[in-house]
Amino acid sequence: MRVLGAVTVVALAAGLVAGLGLAPREVTQGNVQRIMYLHVPSVWVAYVAFAVVFVASIAYLAKRGDAADRLAHASAEVGVVFTGVTIATGSIWGKPTWGTWWTWDARLTSVSILFVMYLVAAFNIPLVHFSVIWWRTLHQPPSLMTPGPAMPRVIIAALLVNFVAFSLLYVYFVAKRVHLLRREAEAAA
Amino acid sequence: MPDNWGFVLAAYGLAAVVLIGYWRMLVRQESDLEDRSRLAPSSGHLTPGSQTTSARAGERSHAAPISGHPRPKPDSRDPLQ
Repeated sequence: MRVLGAVTVVALAAGLVAGLGLAPREVTQGNVQRIMYLHVPSVWVAYVAFAVVFVASIAYLAKRGDAADRLAHASAEVGVVFTGVTIATGSIWGKPTWGTWWTWDARLTSVSILFVMYLVAAFNIPLVHFSVIWWRTLHQPPSLMTPGPAMPRVIIAALLVNFVAFSLLYVYFVAKRVHLLRREAEAAA
Repeated sequence: MPDNWGFVLAAYGLAAVVLIGYWRMLVRQESDLEDRSRLAPSSGHLTPGSQTTSARAGERSHAAPISGHPRPKPDSRDPLQ
């Protein structure tokens, strides 16, 4: 656990340097676009967390194993934390770029549903992801997986470093939470 | 467009506060559990294994407390003891 924690801290530091230092100033938005290196990896972790909740919950229903139950519990909790970070950083990014902290845009609303109703989050994730395609939204469409002019390589690299860092942070938090839940169960037995 | 570094710092600062706060909560819970498990044996917490031993000992517990005066062995006592 300590090694994972140390690797995560190093990855987060690298992500910070890449996002705030190495990545170039974006032409249209200016430096405020650097929030992307925080916002997008956070929502990535939220997606992964709720997908893990979905799979672990099905595994629990099928086999009634305590390990699957603990994994679902831990992943849901960590997912809510990262969804909160996504909404907060998105709101801060929205003010200078869209002129508003909050609007009932399809993407923003569906992420809020994800945050509030994390128990059924697995069914909401496709809605969150495709909301910018299915509806006309203020939020921009997916940047990485849509055809069109490619992002500069240095921006993609900085984003990938942060994806890795946030994924490691997710694994670290979930491992720690699962360990705590196991010890709580042992203490209560 | 202006650079809006204030918004960038606010976003990174807020994320740091939330994530470090969550990490600290996990660490605090872990140390609470460690404290509780350290205190558990002296507060009479029974684990499945110790329950059997305690129940057996509870029938006729004549064991001297460790911190008390040691009892002399029966064959070393004189009749007046």
